[in-house]
Amino acid sequence: MVSEDEVKKIARLARLEIEPEFIPVATGHMNSILGYVERLKDVDTTQVEAMSHVSDTTNVLRKDVALPPGSTKPLEMLSLDSIPQQDMLPTEALTKNAPDSSGSYIRVPLIVE
Amino acid sequence: MTDLAELSANEMRQGLDARDFSSVELTNACLNRAEKLAGLNCFTTLTKTEALKDAADADLLIQAGKSAPLLGVPVAIKDIICTAGTKTTAGSKILANFIPPYDATVVKKLRVAGAVSLGKLNLDEFAMGSSNENSIFGPVKNPWDQSLVPGGSSGGSAAAVAARICPITLGTDTGGSIRQPAAFCGITGLKPTYGRVSRFGVIAYASSLDQVGGFSRTVTDCAHITQVLCGKDPNDATSSDKPVPNFTAALAKGVKGLRIGVPREYFVAGLSPEIEKAVREALTTLEKQGATLVDISLPHTDIAVSVYYIIAPAEASSNLARYDGIRFGHRAEGKMDLTDLYSRSRSEGFGKEVQRRILVGTYVLSSGYFDAYYVKAQKARALITKDFTDAFRTSCDVIIGPTTPTPPFKIGEKVSDPVQMYLNDIFTIPVNLAGLPGMSLPCGFTSSGLPIGMQIIGKHWDEETIFQVAAAYEGATDWLSRKPSL
Repeated sequence: MVSEDEVKKIARLARLEIEPEFIPVATGHMNSILGYVERLKDVDTTQVEAMSHVSDTTNVLRKDVALPPGSTKPLEMLSLDSIPQQDMLPTEALTKNAPDSSGSYIRVPLIVE
Repeated sequence: MTDLAELSANEMRQGLDARDFSSVELTNACLNRAEKLAGLNCFTTLTKTEALKDAADADLLIQAGKSAPLLGVPVAIKDIICTAGTKTTAGSKILANFIPPYDATVVKKLRVAGAVSLGKLNLDEFAMGSSNENSIFGPVKNPWDQSLVPGGSSGGSAAAVAARICPITLGTDTGGSIRQPAAFCGITGLKPTYGRVSRFGVIAYASSLDQVGGFSRTVTDCAHITQVLCGKDPNDATSSDKPVPNFTAALAKGVKGLRIGVPREYFVAGLSPEIEKAVREALTTLEKQGATLVDISLPHTDIAVSVYYIIAPAEASSNLARYDGIRFGHRAEGKMDLTDLYSRSRSEGFGKEVQRRILVGTYVLSSGYFDAYYVKAQKARALITKDFTDAFRTSCDVIIGPTTPTPPFKIGEKVSDPVQMYLNDIFTIPVNLAGLPGMSLPCGFTSSGLPIGMQIIGKHWDEETIFQVAAAYEGATDWLSRKPSL
C-alpha cells in the first residue's frame, strides 16, 4: 500500500506534477492496482528465470553506415522485399517538430540567469 | 447497388482488375461513408486529398497492367503508427501537433502493396485502454450500439471496419488492443507472433509486448494484410528473419485431424453465459468438420493480468520518459526551472490513465520494490509462457477460447475503476506475455444483438494454423451477413 506522500515522491521521480486535489484519487487508484497484483506473492517462482522478452534473437549487430540525405522515395510497387532502409533525414525535418526551434537548432528556455 | 465501401478488400481487388470500378470511385465511396458516419468518431485525421491522389496513381498503375496485393484498396491506420507528413498524435495532447518526418515500416509496406490510406484512426491515448475512452479526440462509438464502447485501444480501427468505412485497417496489440475491439465490433483481428512485424515507427507503449496487426471482416482479407505486414526489418532488431509462409494457401486446408485445445481456465465464473454458449457452439462446429477437442489447462491464467499491469507500466514509464517538452511535443509555457518544465509539460500533455500507468511503472521499478514487483512479474511471465508451450508440446495444435469475458459495455461504465477495466483483457493478455499469435473471429451474437468473438491462439510463428481454423469456421457459418444498422 502506498501513502499520499509516497505517491508525491513517485510523481517527482516520474517527472509528473499531480494537482493536489488529484493526489487522493491517484493514491486510491494506485492502491487498487497494487492490491490487485498482490496475488503474485503467492506464486512460487523460486526455480524460475526472469523473462524480459520472448524474442530468441540477441545482439543484432550491423555496420554503422551513414546514408546521404534523401527525400521520400516515390511509390515503389510490386516487390514486398524492396523496402528501402530508412533514408537519412535532414536536421530540419527533426527540429521542426520541436516546440521552439530556429533552423537546425532547438530553442530551450533559459535555465541559468 | 451495394455501396462500394462495403466490399471486402479481396472483392475490391477483383473488381479493380476487372475494371468494374476505379480506385478513385472506391476511395470516394469510402471517404463519403467516413464523412456520413463521422458521429462514430473513428478518425483523428481524414487525409482526403492525399487519398484521392494515391487512388488516381493506383488507377494509372492498374491501367498499365500492374498488380500488387492491395493496389487501389482503401485502408486506414491507427494514429499511433507514424505517417510521414501526416499528424500522428497517439491520441494524446502531448503529441497533438506531431508530424512525423518518416513512415513506419508497416506504412511503407502498405504503400509498396499499393494500398490507399484514408487517414488516421482514433485510439486510447498511447494505446493504454480497453474502451477507447482515453483519447483527446473523445470516445469512439460501437457501430452495433452507439451507447457502447468499441473496445480498445484500437477502437477506431475496429469500428471503421465494422461500419464498412473501409475493408482493412491497422491496429496495435499490447494486451489485447486488436483482439478485444475486433470481438466488440464483430470483425476479425490478428495479432501476429511477437517479432513477425516491424515496430519501427510505431510509437512505443510496452516494447516487449507491442505488435502491429490488421483488422478486416473476412479471414481472406486478414490473410492478405498479414502477408503484407510480416517480415524482417533491419530497422527493428526484434523483427525476425524467419521465413513468412503464404497465409492465403493455408485458408483451404480445413481442420480435419487438428487438435484444438480448450483451456478450462477460460470458461470460469465471470464469463458471460451467452459468450460461453457461442464459443462452445463454435467448437462443436469445428469438431463436426473433423477437428478433435482436447481439454487443456493453462494453470497460470489468473495471474496474467497482474503480471501485465506490472510489466507494461514499467516499460511504459521508460518509453514515455522521452516526452520532456524539449525536442518534440507539448511544452508548458512560462518561466520555470528545467525540472518544472519537464514535469509541467508532461502533466499538461498526458491524460489521467497514462499518468496512472507511468506512476505504477515508476513505483515497481523504484529501488526497494524492483525485486518484489518487477522481477517477480518477469518470473511469473515465464510461467505463463510455459503453460502455453507445454500445452502445445503435449496436447494441441491450436487453442480456442473466448476473446473477452463480457460483451461490449456502456461508454462511461468502467472509467472510474481501473481494475475492472483491466479485467476485460484477462484472456488476451496471456498471449502477449507469451509472444504468441492470436486472432479474434466473430462467432455469434448475444440476444440483444451484440457481437461475440472467439480467440484462436497459435504456436509461436504458426499464424498458418490460425488461418486454417478461422477459414474453416467462417466457411461453415454465416455471421458475416449481419451488419450494424447505421
